[in-house]
Amino acid sequence: MIDPHCYLLGEQAIVFMLETDTPSTSEQRRLFTLTSKLMNIDAFFDVVPTKSSVTVYLKRPQDYQVWINQIIRLWDECELASFTPNRHRFEVTYGGQFGPDLTDLANSLSLSEHNIIELHTSVTYQVEFIGFLPGFGYLGTLPKALQVPRKSTPRTSVPKGSVAIAQELTAIYPSNSPGGWHLIGLCNTPLFDPTLKQPSLLLPGDQVQFIPAKDSVCSK
Amino acid sequence: MLKVIKQGVLCSIQDAGRHGYRHLGVGQSGALDPTALKLANLLVNNNINDPVIEITIGLAEFEFSASTNFSITGGDLRAKLNSSPLYPGWRYFAKPGDKLSFATNHSAQRAYLAIQGGFAIEELLNAKSTDIQAQFGGFSGRALIAGDELSFPCNKVALKHLGAKQPEYANEVRVLKGPHCDKLPKGAFEHFLQTEWLISEMHSRMGSRLTANQTIKHNATISSQAVHPGVVQLPPNGHPIVLLNDCQTTGGYPIIASVISADLRLFSQLGSKQKCKFSSVSVSQAHQAMNKLNSHLAQFALANNNNIEQ
Repeated sequence: MIDPHCYLLGEQAIVFMLETDTPSTSEQRRLFTLTSKLMNIDAFFDVVPTKSSVTVYLKRPQDYQVWINQIIRLWDECELASFTPNRHRFEVTYGGQFGPDLTDLANSLSLSEHNIIELHTSVTYQVEFIGFLPGFGYLGTLPKALQVPRKSTPRTSVPKGSVAIAQELTAIYPSNSPGGWHLIGLCNTPLFDPTLKQPSLLLPGDQVQFIPAKDSVCSK
Repeated sequence: MLKVIKQGVLCSIQDAGRHGYRHLGVGQSGALDPTALKLANLLVNNNINDPVIEITIGLAEFEFSASTNFSITGGDLRAKLNSSPLYPGWRYFAKPGDKLSFATNHSAQRAYLAIQGGFAIEELLNAKSTDIQAQFGGFSGRALIAGDELSFPCNKVALKHLGAKQPEYANEVRVLKGPHCDKLPKGAFEHFLQTEWLISEMHSRMGSRLTANQTIKHNATISSQAVHPGVVQLPPNGHPIVLLNDCQTTGGYPIIASVISADLRLFSQLGSKQKCKFSSVSVSQAHQAMNKLNSHLAQFALANNNNIEQ
Protein backbone atom coordinates (compact mmCIF):
# COMPACT_ATOMS: atom_id res chain seq x y z
CA MET A 1 0.00 0.00 0.00
CA ILE A 2 1.24 3.48 -0.88
CA ASP A 3 1.23 5.88 2.06
CA PRO A 4 -1.87 8.05 2.33
CA HIS A 5 -1.37 11.79 2.16
CA CYS A 6 -2.93 14.84 3.71
CA TYR A 7 -3.30 18.32 2.23
CA LEU A 8 -4.96 21.66 2.81
CA LEU A 9 -7.87 22.49 0.45
CA GLY A 10 -8.77 26.17 0.53
CA GLU A 11 -8.06 27.74 3.92
CA GLN A 12 -10.07 25.56 6.26
CA ALA A 13 -10.36 22.03 4.87
CA ILE A 14 -7.80 19.26 5.36
CA VAL A 15 -8.20 16.28 3.03
CA PHE A 16 -6.84 12.88 4.05
CA MET A 17 -6.59 10.75 0.91
CA LEU A 18 -5.73 7.08 0.37
CA GLU A 19 -3.67 6.56 -2.78
CA THR A 20 -6.31 4.32 -4.35
CA ASP A 21 -9.77 4.54 -5.93
CA THR A 22 -10.63 1.05 -4.71
CA PRO A 23 -9.62 0.66 -1.07
CA SER A 24 -9.58 -2.90 0.30
CA THR A 25 -12.19 -3.90 2.89
CA SER A 26 -9.65 -3.48 5.69
CA GLU A 27 -8.51 -0.06 4.41
CA GLN A 28 -12.11 1.06 4.19
CA ARG A 29 -12.86 -0.12 7.75
CA ARG A 30 -9.78 1.69 8.95
CA LEU A 31 -10.99 4.83 7.16
CA PHE A 32 -14.42 4.58 8.86
CA THR A 33 -12.63 4.19 12.18
CA LEU A 34 -10.53 7.29 11.47
CA THR A 35 -13.70 9.18 10.46
CA SER A 36 -15.48 8.34 13.71
CA LYS A 37 -12.41 9.41 15.70
CA LEU A 38 -12.27 12.73 13.82
CA MET A 39 -16.01 13.29 14.37
CA ASN A 40 -15.38 13.34 18.12
CA ILE A 41 -12.79 16.11 17.90
CA ASP A 42 -14.12 19.55 18.76
CA ALA A 43 -11.68 21.41 16.50
CA PHE A 44 -13.70 20.57 13.36
CA PHE A 45 -17.13 21.86 12.36
CA ASP A 46 -17.63 19.20 9.68
CA VAL A 47 -16.07 15.82 8.93
CA VAL A 48 -16.88 14.44 5.46
CA PRO A 49 -15.84 10.94 4.39
CA THR A 50 -15.88 9.60 0.82
CA LYS A 51 -14.88 6.16 -0.45
CA SER A 52 -11.13 6.77 -0.20
CA SER A 53 -10.83 10.06 1.71
CA VAL A 54 -11.98 12.00 4.72
CA THR A 55 -12.05 15.80 4.94
CA VAL A 56 -12.20 17.88 8.11
CA TYR A 57 -13.24 21.54 8.27
CA LEU A 58 -11.25 23.54 10.82
CA LYS A 59 -12.81 25.96 13.27
CA ARG A 60 -9.39 27.66 13.51
CA PRO A 61 -7.85 27.61 10.01
CA GLN A 62 -4.50 28.93 11.30
CA ASP A 63 -3.92 25.57 13.07
CA TYR A 64 -3.83 23.59 9.84
CA GLN A 65 -0.22 22.41 10.05
CA VAL A 66 -0.74 20.88 13.48
CA TRP A 67 -3.81 18.97 12.30
CA ILE A 68 -2.21 17.69 9.09
CA ASN A 69 0.41 15.97 11.25
CA GLN A 70 -2.11 14.87 13.85
CA ILE A 71 -4.46 13.21 11.32
CA ILE A 72 -1.62 11.16 9.83
CA ARG A 73 -0.70 10.08 13.39
CA LEU A 74 -4.34 9.12 14.12
CA TRP A 75 -4.43 7.02 10.93
CA ASP A 76 -1.29 5.17 11.99
CA GLU A 77 -2.88 4.42 15.37
CA CYS A 78 -6.26 3.25 14.00
CA GLU A 79 -7.27 -0.22 15.15
CA LEU A 80 -9.16 -2.24 12.59
CA ALA A 81 -11.66 -3.94 14.86
CA SER A 82 -13.15 -0.86 16.49
CA PHE A 83 -15.74 -0.12 13.79
CA THR A 84 -19.22 -1.76 14.03
CA PRO A 85 -21.68 -0.68 11.33
CA ASN A 86 -25.49 -0.33 11.66
CA ARG A 87 -27.52 -2.72 9.49
CA HIS A 88 -30.63 -1.87 7.48
CA ARG A 89 -33.07 -4.03 5.50
CA PHE A 90 -35.19 -2.22 2.93
CA GLU A 91 -38.22 -3.64 1.13
CA VAL A 92 -38.22 -2.66 -2.55
CA THR A 93 -41.02 -2.93 -5.08
CA TYR A 94 -39.17 -3.70 -8.31
CA GLY A 95 -40.23 -3.10 -11.91
CA GLY A 96 -43.32 -1.73 -13.64
CA GLN A 97 -44.12 1.89 -12.81
CA PHE A 98 -41.84 1.62 -9.74
CA GLY A 99 -38.74 0.71 -11.73
CA PRO A 100 -39.28 2.17 -15.20
CA ASP A 101 -35.79 1.19 -16.45
CA LEU A 102 -35.92 -2.49 -15.43
CA THR A 103 -37.15 -3.76 -18.81
CA ASP A 104 -34.59 -1.80 -20.85
CA LEU A 105 -31.80 -2.85 -18.48
CA ALA A 106 -32.76 -6.51 -18.81
CA ASN A 107 -32.51 -6.16 -22.59
CA SER A 108 -29.19 -4.34 -22.60
CA LEU A 109 -27.61 -6.67 -20.01
CA SER A 110 -29.06 -9.83 -21.62
CA LEU A 111 -30.56 -10.84 -18.29
CA SER A 112 -34.18 -11.45 -17.30
CA GLU A 113 -35.88 -8.89 -15.06
CA HIS A 114 -36.08 -11.60 -12.43
CA ASN A 115 -32.28 -12.18 -12.67
CA ILE A 116 -31.65 -8.48 -12.10
CA ILE A 117 -33.78 -8.50 -8.95
CA GLU A 118 -32.07 -11.66 -7.69
CA LEU A 119 -28.65 -10.18 -8.30
CA HIS A 120 -29.55 -6.82 -6.74
CA THR A 121 -30.87 -8.49 -3.57
CA SER A 122 -28.03 -11.05 -3.40
CA VAL A 123 -25.39 -8.86 -1.70
CA THR A 124 -24.99 -6.76 1.43
CA TYR A 125 -24.03 -3.23 0.46
CA GLN A 126 -22.05 -0.69 2.41
CA VAL A 127 -22.73 3.06 2.54
CA GLU A 128 -19.41 4.18 1.04
CA PHE A 129 -20.31 7.81 1.60
CA ILE A 130 -23.21 10.27 1.50
CA GLY A 131 -23.39 13.07 -1.02
CA PHE A 132 -25.28 14.51 -4.01
CA LEU A 133 -28.46 15.03 -1.93
CA PRO A 134 -29.11 15.06 1.84
CA GLY A 135 -29.28 11.41 2.90
CA PHE A 136 -28.20 10.02 -0.50
CA GLY A 137 -25.95 7.06 0.33
CA TYR A 138 -23.61 5.67 -2.32
CA LEU A 139 -23.96 1.90 -1.79
CA GLY A 140 -21.28 -0.47 -3.01
CA THR A 141 -20.53 -2.77 -4.48
CA LEU A 142 -23.02 -3.86 -7.12
CA PRO A 143 -22.51 -7.40 -8.58
CA LYS A 144 -20.36 -7.17 -11.76
CA ALA A 145 -23.21 -8.41 -13.99
CA LEU A 146 -25.29 -5.33 -13.06
CA GLN A 147 -22.63 -2.68 -13.61
CA VAL A 148 -23.73 -0.27 -16.36
CA PRO A 149 -22.75 3.32 -17.20
CA ARG A 150 -25.10 6.14 -16.20
CA LYS A 151 -27.91 7.02 -18.59
CA SER A 152 -26.63 9.24 -21.40
CA THR A 153 -29.46 11.71 -20.79
CA PRO A 154 -30.34 12.23 -17.11
CA ARG A 155 -34.01 12.43 -16.08
CA THR A 156 -35.10 15.90 -15.03
CA SER A 157 -37.13 14.36 -12.22
CA VAL A 158 -36.57 11.13 -10.31
CA PRO A 159 -39.29 10.33 -7.72
CA LYS A 160 -38.41 10.13 -4.02
CA GLY A 161 -37.71 6.55 -2.94
CA SER A 162 -36.47 5.38 -6.36
CA VAL A 163 -33.92 2.57 -6.15
CA ALA A 164 -31.32 3.06 -8.83
CA ILE A 165 -28.06 1.63 -10.16
CA ALA A 166 -25.09 3.07 -12.08
CA GLN A 167 -21.51 1.90 -12.51
CA GLU A 168 -20.53 -0.17 -9.43
CA LEU A 169 -23.07 1.53 -7.15
CA THR A 170 -26.70 1.48 -6.12
CA ALA A 171 -28.71 4.08 -4.19
CA ILE A 172 -32.14 5.19 -3.00
CA TYR A 173 -33.16 8.77 -3.89
CA PRO A 174 -34.14 10.37 -0.54
CA SER A 175 -36.08 13.19 -2.26
CA ASN A 176 -37.33 14.15 -5.73
CA SER A 177 -34.41 15.30 -7.82
CA PRO A 178 -32.91 15.19 -11.30
CA GLY A 179 -30.82 12.06 -11.78
CA GLY A 180 -28.90 9.98 -14.31
CA TRP A 181 -29.07 6.50 -12.74
CA HIS A 182 -31.21 3.57 -13.94
CA LEU A 183 -34.40 3.19 -11.90
CA ILE A 184 -35.25 -0.41 -11.00
CA GLY A 185 -37.63 -0.12 -8.03
CA LEU A 186 -39.15 1.93 -5.24
CA CYS A 187 -38.54 1.89 -1.48
CA ASN A 188 -40.98 3.63 0.86
CA THR A 189 -38.68 3.95 3.88
CA PRO A 190 -38.09 7.67 4.63
CA LEU A 191 -34.34 8.36 4.44
CA PHE A 192 -34.03 12.03 5.34
CA ASP A 193 -36.03 14.30 7.63
CA PRO A 194 -34.45 17.69 8.50
CA THR A 195 -36.70 18.06 11.57
CA LEU A 196 -35.11 15.06 13.31
CA LYS A 197 -32.07 15.22 15.56
CA GLN A 198 -30.48 12.48 13.45
CA PRO A 199 -31.86 13.58 10.05
CA SER A 200 -30.34 10.84 7.90
CA LEU A 201 -31.26 7.16 8.34
CA LEU A 202 -28.09 6.07 6.57
CA LEU A 203 -24.66 6.88 7.93
CA PRO A 204 -21.30 6.35 6.27
CA GLY A 205 -20.19 2.75 6.85
CA ASP A 206 -23.73 1.34 7.43
CA GLN A 207 -24.70 -1.98 5.81
CA VAL A 208 -27.80 -2.30 3.61
CA GLN A 209 -29.75 -5.27 2.29
CA PHE A 210 -32.65 -5.13 -0.17
CA ILE A 211 -35.65 -7.47 -0.02
CA PRO A 212 -38.05 -7.78 -2.96
CA ALA A 213 -41.66 -6.80 -2.11
CA LYS A 214 -44.40 -9.25 -3.11
CA ASP A 215 -45.99 -6.75 -5.50
CA SER A 216 -42.82 -6.41 -7.59
CA VAL A 217 -43.55 -6.51 -11.32
CA CYS A 218 -41.19 -8.59 -13.43
CA SER A 219 -40.97 -11.14 -16.18
CA LYS A 220 -39.05 -14.34 -15.39
CA MET B 1 -45.63 41.46 7.99
CA LEU B 2 -43.61 41.87 4.84
CA LYS B 3 -45.72 40.77 1.90
CA VAL B 4 -44.16 39.60 -1.35
CA ILE B 5 -45.94 41.45 -4.18
CA LYS B 6 -43.58 40.41 -6.99
CA GLN B 7 -41.26 37.46 -6.44
CA GLY B 8 -38.70 38.57 -9.04
CA VAL B 9 -36.08 36.16 -10.36
CA LEU B 10 -35.02 34.53 -7.08
CA CYS B 11 -35.53 35.81 -3.55
CA SER B 12 -34.75 33.53 -0.63
CA ILE B 13 -34.18 33.63 3.11
CA GLN B 14 -30.48 33.16 3.90
CA ASP B 15 -28.22 33.46 6.92
CA ALA B 16 -24.57 32.51 7.44
CA GLY B 17 -25.26 28.96 6.24
CA ARG B 18 -25.54 25.44 7.56
CA HIS B 19 -22.63 23.59 9.14
CA GLY B 20 -22.24 20.25 10.89
CA TYR B 21 -24.22 18.10 8.44
CA ARG B 22 -22.00 17.94 5.36
CA HIS B 23 -21.31 14.23 6.02
CA LEU B 24 -25.04 13.60 5.46
CA GLY B 25 -25.01 15.37 2.10
CA VAL B 26 -26.46 18.60 3.49
CA GLY B 27 -24.92 21.59 1.71
CA GLN B 28 -23.98 24.94 3.19
CA SER B 29 -26.57 27.28 1.61
CA GLY B 30 -26.43 30.79 3.12
CA ALA B 31 -25.85 34.29 1.74
CA LEU B 32 -23.44 34.33 -1.21
CA ASP B 33 -22.01 37.55 0.24
CA PRO B 34 -21.53 36.98 4.00
CA THR B 35 -20.11 40.47 4.47
CA ALA B 36 -23.24 42.05 2.98
CA LEU B 37 -25.37 39.82 5.25
CA LYS B 38 -23.45 40.96 8.34
CA LEU B 39 -23.44 44.66 7.40
CA ALA B 40 -27.18 44.55 6.68
CA ASN B 41 -27.78 43.13 10.16
CA LEU B 42 -25.39 45.54 11.90
CA LEU B 43 -27.15 48.49 10.26
CA VAL B 44 -30.43 47.58 12.01
CA ASN B 45 -28.80 46.45 15.30
CA ASN B 46 -29.58 42.76 14.72
CA ASN B 47 -27.46 39.76 15.56
CA ILE B 48 -24.82 39.63 12.88
CA ASN B 49 -26.03 36.37 11.28
CA ASP B 50 -29.81 36.89 11.48
CA PRO B 51 -31.68 35.72 8.37
CA VAL B 52 -32.12 38.26 5.56
CA ILE B 53 -33.67 38.16 2.11
CA GLU B 54 -31.18 37.62 -0.70
CA ILE B 55 -32.55 39.22 -3.87
CA THR B 56 -31.06 37.85 -7.10
CA ILE B 57 -31.19 40.01 -10.28
CA GLY B 58 -34.10 42.06 -8.89
CA LEU B 59 -37.58 42.70 -10.34
CA ALA B 60 -39.02 42.04 -6.91
CA GLU B 61 -41.47 44.07 -4.82
CA PHE B 62 -42.43 43.91 -1.15
CA GLU B 63 -45.06 45.71 0.94
CA PHE B 64 -44.70 46.54 4.64
CA SER B 65 -47.82 46.04 6.75
CA ALA B 66 -46.12 47.39 9.90
CA SER B 67 -43.53 50.07 10.48
CA THR B 68 -39.89 49.10 10.84
CA ASN B 69 -36.30 50.09 10.19
CA PHE B 70 -34.67 48.11 7.41
CA SER B 71 -31.38 48.08 5.55
CA ILE B 72 -30.20 47.10 2.10
CA THR B 73 -26.67 46.01 1.23
CA GLY B 74 -24.86 44.15 -1.55
CA GLY B 75 -25.14 45.21 -5.18
CA ASP B 76 -27.14 48.22 -6.38
CA LEU B 77 -30.34 46.74 -7.83
CA ARG B 78 -31.89 50.24 -8.04
CA ALA B 79 -34.16 49.83 -5.05
CA LYS B 80 -36.93 52.29 -4.28
CA LEU B 81 -39.15 52.89 -1.28
CA ASN B 82 -42.37 53.99 -2.98
CA SER B 83 -40.80 56.44 -5.45
CA SER B 84 -37.64 57.43 -3.52
CA PRO B 85 -34.38 55.81 -4.60
CA LEU B 86 -32.45 53.80 -1.98
CA TYR B 87 -28.74 53.01 -1.87
CA PRO B 88 -26.95 49.85 -0.75
CA GLY B 89 -25.19 50.18 2.60
CA TRP B 90 -27.90 52.36 4.20
CA ARG B 91 -30.70 51.94 6.68
CA TYR B 92 -34.18 53.36 6.16
CA PHE B 93 -37.59 53.48 7.84
CA ALA B 94 -40.80 52.11 6.36
CA LYS B 95 -44.40 52.82 7.38
CA PRO B 96 -47.39 50.50 6.93
CA GLY B 97 -48.36 50.38 3.24
CA ASP B 98 -44.90 51.42 1.97
CA LYS B 99 -43.67 49.48 -1.05
CA LEU B 100 -40.05 48.44 -1.50
CA SER B 101 -39.11 47.56 -5.07
CA PHE B 102 -35.95 46.33 -6.78
CA ALA B 103 -35.33 46.96 -10.49
CA THR B 104 -32.24 45.47 -12.22
CA ASN B 105 -28.74 46.63 -13.00
CA HIS B 106 -26.40 44.93 -15.49
CA SER B 107 -23.41 45.45 -13.19
CA ALA B 108 -24.99 43.98 -10.04
CA GLN B 109 -26.56 40.61 -9.30
CA ARG B 110 -27.58 40.44 -5.65
CA ALA B 111 -28.87 42.65 -2.87
CA TYR B 112 -29.68 41.87 0.76
CA LEU B 113 -32.62 43.11 2.82
CA ALA B 114 -32.53 43.03 6.63
CA ILE B 115 -35.30 44.11 8.96
CA GLN B 116 -34.84 45.34 12.52
CA GLY B 117 -35.49 42.46 14.93
CA GLY B 118 -35.11 39.93 12.12
CA PHE B 119 -37.58 37.74 10.26
CA ALA B 120 -39.36 35.08 12.34
CA ILE B 121 -37.89 31.93 10.74
CA GLU B 122 -37.55 28.52 12.38
CA GLU B 123 -34.08 27.04 12.68
CA LEU B 124 -33.52 23.67 10.96
CA LEU B 125 -30.22 21.78 11.26
CA ASN B 126 -28.39 24.72 12.87
CA ALA B 127 -29.44 27.36 10.34
CA LYS B 128 -32.29 29.45 9.00
CA SER B 129 -31.04 29.40 5.41
CA THR B 130 -33.20 28.01 2.62
CA ASP B 131 -31.73 24.85 1.08
CA ILE B 132 -33.31 25.40 -2.33
CA GLN B 133 -31.97 22.13 -3.81
CA ALA B 134 -33.14 19.89 -0.97
CA GLN B 135 -36.27 21.98 -0.31
CA PHE B 136 -36.08 22.61 3.40
CA GLY B 137 -35.21 25.46 5.75
CA GLY B 138 -35.83 29.19 5.36
CA PHE B 139 -39.40 30.09 4.40
CA SER B 140 -41.28 26.83 3.56
CA GLY B 141 -38.09 25.30 2.11
CA ARG B 142 -38.30 27.31 -1.09
CA ALA B 143 -37.70 30.63 -2.82
CA LEU B 144 -40.23 33.34 -1.96
CA ILE B 145 -43.31 33.65 -4.18
CA ALA B 146 -45.90 36.40 -4.60
CA GLY B 147 -48.38 36.30 -1.73
CA ASP B 148 -45.91 35.05 0.91
CA GLU B 149 -46.05 36.98 4.19
CA LEU B 150 -43.00 37.13 6.45
CA SER B 151 -43.39 38.07 10.11
CA PHE B 152 -41.11 40.53 11.87
CA PRO B 153 -41.41 42.55 15.10
CA CYS B 154 -42.97 46.02 14.58
CA ASN B 155 -40.75 49.02 15.45
CA LYS B 156 -42.46 52.39 15.53
CA VAL B 157 -39.37 54.49 16.23
CA ALA B 158 -37.35 55.55 13.19
CA LEU B 159 -33.62 55.18 13.84
CA LYS B 160 -31.25 57.89 12.69
CA HIS B 161 -30.24 57.70 9.02
CA LEU B 162 -27.11 55.57 8.92
CA GLY B 163 -24.82 54.18 6.24
CA ALA B 164 -21.89 51.76 6.20
CA LYS B 165 -19.04 51.62 3.74
CA GLN B 166 -19.21 48.34 1.87
CA PRO B 167 -15.98 46.65 0.80
CA GLU B 168 -15.59 47.08 -2.97
CA TYR B 169 -16.65 44.46 -5.46
CA ALA B 170 -14.12 43.55 -8.14
CA ASN B 171 -13.47 40.94 -10.82
CA GLU B 172 -9.90 40.17 -9.77
CA VAL B 173 -10.17 37.11 -7.59
CA ARG B 174 -7.43 35.67 -5.39
CA VAL B 175 -6.97 31.89 -5.29
CA LEU B 176 -4.84 29.21 -3.67
CA LYS B 177 -3.32 26.61 -5.97
CA GLY B 178 -5.44 23.43 -6.12
CA PRO B 179 -4.29 19.96 -5.06
CA HIS B 180 -4.64 18.25 -8.47
CA CYS B 181 -2.55 20.56 -10.66
CA ASP B 182 0.11 17.86 -11.07
CA LYS B 183 -2.51 15.53 -12.59
CA LEU B 184 -3.61 18.16 -15.14
CA PRO B 185 -1.74 19.04 -18.36
CA LYS B 186 1.59 20.80 -17.71
CA GLY B 187 1.15 24.52 -17.05
CA ALA B 188 -2.63 24.20 -16.46
CA PHE B 189 -2.60 26.36 -13.32
CA GLU B 190 -0.49 29.07 -15.02
CA HIS B 191 -2.89 28.98 -17.99
CA PHE B 192 -5.79 29.33 -15.54
CA LEU B 193 -4.15 32.45 -14.02
CA GLN B 194 -3.26 34.06 -17.35
CA THR B 195 -6.68 33.61 -18.94
CA GLU B 196 -9.34 36.28 -18.88
CA TRP B 197 -12.44 34.22 -18.10
CA LEU B 198 -16.06 35.06 -18.84
CA ILE B 199 -18.91 34.00 -16.58
CA SER B 200 -21.08 31.74 -18.77
CA GLU B 201 -24.88 31.58 -18.85
CA MET B 202 -24.58 28.69 -16.41
CA HIS B 203 -24.26 30.46 -13.12
CA SER B 204 -26.47 30.04 -10.10
CA ARG B 205 -26.23 29.73 -6.34
CA MET B 206 -24.67 26.28 -6.96
CA GLY B 207 -21.74 27.58 -8.97
CA SER B 208 -20.43 29.69 -11.83
CA ARG B 209 -19.15 28.00 -14.97
CA LEU B 210 -16.39 29.95 -16.70
CA THR B 211 -15.57 30.10 -20.37
CA ALA B 212 -12.76 31.41 -22.58
CA ASN B 213 -11.44 31.00 -26.13
CA GLN B 214 -8.80 28.56 -24.95
CA THR B 215 -10.05 26.26 -22.24
CA ILE B 216 -7.98 23.63 -20.38
CA LYS B 217 -9.21 20.28 -21.74
CA HIS B 218 -7.85 17.17 -20.05
CA ASN B 219 -8.60 13.54 -19.22
CA ALA B 220 -7.38 13.44 -15.62
CA THR B 221 -9.53 11.65 -13.06
CA ILE B 222 -9.57 11.76 -9.26
CA SER B 223 -11.42 9.84 -6.55
CA SER B 224 -14.51 11.58 -5.16
CA GLN B 225 -13.70 13.84 -2.27
CA ALA B 226 -15.43 16.49 -0.19
CA VAL B 227 -15.87 19.87 -1.93
CA HIS B 228 -17.18 23.18 -0.64
CA PRO B 229 -17.94 26.75 -1.77
CA GLY B 230 -14.83 28.32 -3.29
CA VAL B 231 -13.43 25.12 -4.77
CA VAL B 232 -12.69 25.53 -8.51
CA GLN B 233 -13.30 22.25 -10.32
CA LEU B 234 -11.99 21.54 -13.80
CA PRO B 235 -14.19 19.06 -15.71
CA PRO B 236 -12.63 17.34 -18.77
CA ASN B 237 -14.28 19.90 -21.14
CA GLY B 238 -11.88 22.51 -19.72
CA HIS B 239 -14.49 24.98 -18.44
CA PRO B 240 -13.73 25.68 -14.75
CA ILE B 241 -16.61 25.71 -12.27
CA VAL B 242 -16.38 27.93 -9.18
CA LEU B 243 -18.51 26.17 -6.57
CA LEU B 244 -20.80 28.44 -4.57
CA ASN B 245 -22.98 28.03 -1.47
CA ASP B 246 -25.59 25.62 -2.87
CA CYS B 247 -22.97 23.19 -4.24
CA GLN B 248 -22.95 19.47 -3.47
CA THR B 249 -20.85 18.15 -0.60
CA THR B 250 -18.68 15.80 -2.70
CA GLY B 251 -17.27 15.97 -6.21
CA GLY B 252 -15.17 13.95 -8.60
CA TYR B 253 -13.57 16.55 -10.90
CA PRO B 254 -9.94 17.63 -10.44
CA ILE B 255 -9.56 20.79 -8.34
CA ILE B 256 -7.35 23.40 -10.02
CA ALA B 257 -7.71 26.17 -7.40
CA SER B 258 -9.69 27.46 -4.40
CA VAL B 259 -11.03 31.00 -4.20
CA ILE B 260 -9.89 32.51 -0.90
CA SER B 261 -12.69 32.98 1.65
CA ALA B 262 -12.39 36.77 1.60
CA ASP B 263 -12.95 36.92 -2.19
CA LEU B 264 -15.72 34.37 -2.64
CA ARG B 265 -18.26 37.17 -2.04
CA LEU B 266 -17.19 38.71 -5.36
CA PHE B 267 -19.05 35.95 -7.22
CA SER B 268 -22.31 37.19 -5.68
CA GLN B 269 -22.13 40.10 -8.15
CA LEU B 270 -20.67 38.45 -11.27
CA GLY B 271 -23.31 37.70 -13.90
CA SER B 272 -23.14 36.17 -17.39
CA LYS B 273 -20.64 37.70 -19.81
CA GLN B 274 -18.81 39.51 -17.04
CA LYS B 275 -15.06 39.03 -16.97
CA CYS B 276 -12.98 37.68 -14.15
CA LYS B 277 -9.31 37.02 -13.63
CA PHE B 278 -7.47 35.02 -10.98
CA SER B 279 -4.23 35.64 -9.10
CA SER B 280 -2.41 33.22 -6.85
CA VAL B 281 -1.71 34.00 -3.18
CA SER B 282 -0.28 32.12 -0.18
CA VAL B 283 -2.30 30.65 2.68
CA SER B 284 -1.08 33.38 5.05
CA GLN B 285 -2.12 36.07 2.56
CA ALA B 286 -5.56 34.42 2.41
CA HIS B 287 -5.81 34.55 6.22
CA GLN B 288 -4.72 38.22 6.20
CA ALA B 289 -7.39 39.06 3.60
CA MET B 290 -10.06 37.47 5.79
CA ASN B 291 -8.79 39.31 8.88
CA LYS B 292 -9.00 42.58 6.95
CA LEU B 293 -12.60 41.90 5.96
CA ASN B 294 -13.49 40.95 9.56
CA SER B 295 -11.87 44.07 10.98
CA HIS B 296 -13.86 46.19 8.53
CA LEU B 297 -17.03 44.70 10.06
CA ALA B 298 -15.69 45.00 13.62
CA GLN B 299 -14.86 48.69 13.10
CA PHE B 300 -18.33 49.41 11.84
CA ALA B 301 -19.92 47.45 14.71
CA LEU B 302 -17.85 49.42 17.21
CA ALA B 303 -18.67 52.80 15.65
CA ASN B 304 -22.34 51.86 15.55
CA ASN B 305 -22.37 50.76 19.22
CA ASN B 306 -20.78 54.05 20.28
CA ASN B 307 -23.43 55.79 18.25
CA ILE B 308 -26.24 53.96 20.09
CA GLU B 309 -24.79 54.79 23.52
CA GLN B 310 -24.56 58.53 22.86
